[in-house]
Amino acid sequence: MIGYVLKRLGLALLVALAVSAIAFFLLRLSGDAATAIAGEGARQEDIELIRKTYGLDRPLVVQYVEWLWQTLRGDFGTSLYFKTPVSALVLDKLPTTIVLGLTSLGFALLVSIPLGVLAAVYANSWIDRLALAIAVVGQALPNFFFALILVMFFSITLRWLPVSGSDSWAHFVMPTIALGYYVAPAFMRLVRAGMIEVLSADYIRTARAKGLPARSVIFKHALRNALVPVVALTAVQLGFLLGGSVVVETIFALDGLGYLAYQSITYKDFPVMQVVVLLLSVLYVLLTLLADVANAWLDPRIRVA
Amino acid sequence: MSSLQNDVILAVDGLSVDIATQRGTLHAVRDISFEVKRGETLCLVGESGCGKSMTSLAIMDLLPKGATRRARRLAFAGEDLSRAGARRINALRGDRMAMIFQEPMTALNPAYTIGNQLVEAYRLHRKASEAEARERAVHLLGKVGIASAGERLGQYPHQLSGGLRQRVMIAMALMCGPDLLIADEPTTALDVTIQAQILRLLADLQRELGIAMVLITHDLGVVARIADRVAVMYAGQIVEEGPTAALFGNPRHPYTRGLIDCIPVPGRTQPGGKLGVIPGVVPSLVGDVRGCSFRDRCAFAREACAAAPPVHRAPDGQSWRCILENAA
Ligand SMILES: Nc1ncnc2c1ncn2[C@@H]1O[C@H](COP(=O)(O)OP(=O)(O)O)[C@@H](O)[C@H]1O
Ligand code: SF4
Ligand SMILES: [Mg+2]
Repeated sequence: MIGYVLKRLGLALLVALAVSAIAFFLLRLSGDAATAIAGEGARQEDIELIRKTYGLDRPLVVQYVEWLWQTLRGDFGTSLYFKTPVSALVLDKLPTTIVLGLTSLGFALLVSIPLGVLAAVYANSWIDRLALAIAVVGQALPNFFFALILVMFFSITLRWLPVSGSDSWAHFVMPTIALGYYVAPAFMRLVRAGMIEVLSADYIRTARAKGLPARSVIFKHALRNALVPVVALTAVQLGFLLGGSVVVETIFALDGLGYLAYQSITYKDFPVMQVVVLLLSVLYVLLTLLADVANAWLDPRIRVA
Repeated sequence: MSSLQNDVILAVDGLSVDIATQRGTLHAVRDISFEVKRGETLCLVGESGCGKSMTSLAIMDLLPKGATRRARRLAFAGEDLSRAGARRINALRGDRMAMIFQEPMTALNPAYTIGNQLVEAYRLHRKASEAEARERAVHLLGKVGIASAGERLGQYPHQLSGGLRQRVMIAMALMCGPDLLIADEPTTALDVTIQAQILRLLADLQRELGIAMVLITHDLGVVARIADRVAVMYAGQIVEEGPTAALFGNPRHPYTRGLIDCIPVPGRTQPGGKLGVIPGVVPSLVGDVRGCSFRDRCAFAREACAAAPPVHRAPDGQSWRCILENAA
């Protein structure tokens, strides 16, 4: 098991490195860093001077290696817009995004697992169709549109929740629902399909032959096997969550990494952009790793591989 | 009625199983009746597809989706299961009645250890502690011939061979010391060398523990050796039933004769003797089946066989469903 984890960890680091390189080149191609640093209405000579001073005239590969070297040593540079060290900025926003990711993932699982199980146990009944309807709506509604509906209902009509900001737990409720509902349908469909397949397995008949009550047949014997593919999907969905958090954090002005990413793009804040992309990819890769390890724990047959 | 006697553990009266299919209702089991006494072994034989599995699953209330059962009476230890609720059935299953299936490779849950799956029924029905249940599991694993039982408890099904898994299934079925054990072709999926071992083990345990057993098997040699009674099924019906010696010595139904005659030594079969191959095919069980269902393949068939044949009973307890009083 430990060898397996180490192998996966090594692979994870390589992926994160590759992503950071691709992101670096793409960002550099998307706009001129020197112009951005110089600011609005800067003279051409000043821009050239900045290009020389910051070493932006050197080949991209050299710049990337230098940036990587500095980053690995913990020097993330300084934000062009906020004028503060990127590391402090990112550390400040990171917890918000992690909390939002976890709460929305939790919300998605909390909704989709029971719904998926119900839909499978009562397959083709009205319960199944209701669950399907909930899923279809969740997948069809664009993220921002659903967020706006939430705002209208909870903030404007009911006046229960604050519209924007990130000062209290109440600020997290709507972003969590908006983001969680966005990924829940995929989980629900997978749980339903997995449960339907597993419920007709021979070992379920064995469990029933033992006289086990329906709840332990469903939750102990069936659900655990049906959850194996769900854990794998969690990794993929966490990627969507991280992506979705840029939209949702921006709508609700929730002060996390996603919002920071949005701001850094708006202000052409290259040092921030690069670090945020690197961090998001590292997070994504680590979460994937976590899902793989959980998978190995759930399905003993994978452990030996 | 004999089914009311308390030495009868299972009395099946008028059991039918229907399966909804795209082509219509398939009558997999058609109005069968039989009894199993305490401590007795009844073997259920017949070609594949004649309804043996559906019969055993119907008794255990484990029929797959789409299959429904009807019975005048399905008495277990005098209690009519056809009228019992799910709660009562669950209280009996795994405790008083247990079942072993044909496919040991898929019958165990891949996500849990052998130990976890062994102790479940015992903890549930006996309200036993984990330690007591594990002790019982180790004892039974030893009984079914599994060495170093203590270590096996921590292993997962995929770490065990098919033969070992079936031994585990047997131990699991015996955890609560059931009164009735139903074994549906428990060795068909195993290597030939292991088949004999497992069947011998089952027969020994049945005798030692005094359990009543319904054994479904293709091995007529095994049937001849271990069955007290034999029921022969054809196209969803029991066409002949009786004490083993009588049935093998004087098979009355043409189908039973066909099965036994196809084996090298007539009358007495050898161990490992398989069911005979009778020319022709089993009729479709979808829709109504009129008259004797064996008549397309029967050498004695005549006009009268187009009507439902009567059931004859001999004094020794043998009964058969045929127009012939005594097959020539
Ligand atoms: N799930 C099912 N759906 C439709 N027909 C089935 C199903 N299972 C069994 N049958 C049919 O029911 C009949 C009896 O099957 P079964 O009891 O499994 O026979 P046996 O165990 O004697 O080989 C067969 O004709 C078979 O084709
Ligand atoms: S009833 Fe007729 S067809 Fe059927 S087994 Fe007897 S003789 Fe043969
Ligand atoms: Mg069968």
